[in-house]
Amino acid sequence: MAEGILIAAAVLIFCGIVFGVLRLILGRTVVDRVVAVDMLTVISISLIALYAHVAGRFIYLDVALVYGVLSFLAVLAVARYLERGI
Amino acid sequence: MRDLFVYLLCGSILVSGILAVRLDGVMAAMVSGGLASLFAAICYVLLGAPDVAMTEASIGSGLSTLIFLYAIRRTTAAGE
Repeated sequence: MAEGILIAAAVLIFCGIVFGVLRLILGRTVVDRVVAVDMLTVISISLIALYAHVAGRFIYLDVALVYGVLSFLAVLAVARYLERGI
Repeated sequence: MRDLFVYLLCGSILVSGILAVRLDGVMAAMVSGGLASLFAAICYVLLGAPDVAMTEASIGSGLSTLIFLYAIRRTTAAGE
């Protein structure tokens, strides 16, 4: 049961990364690419958390925490710049 | 499972780097460069180096994007 859930999560994360990179390649405007980067950030945080559970090393969760705090700042700065400049 | 994700992330780093070189707009190229740094940080975690990944996530993806934004703003204000 738990094994199946982990495999399903891994497959979903894999497809999410593939589609996010496709959106980055095909994106027509800058806003599309920024949204794709934001989505890939969330997907990668979930990938780090999944790998922390699979590997059994919970120090990896700290990386996910730091990443969740910092990556949101970069996307916020880009969005603010696109809207009206810093 | 880990090797498959490492291969996928390496391919994504390659695609992001190529896009950062080939894209037209400066903003889109900057976003693609930040994404390459993001994938590199996850790759470090999967290869077993969480401290390197934390540094890469904070400096490479967070700080360098902000510095690039500041530089773009200054240069466009001087050019126009």
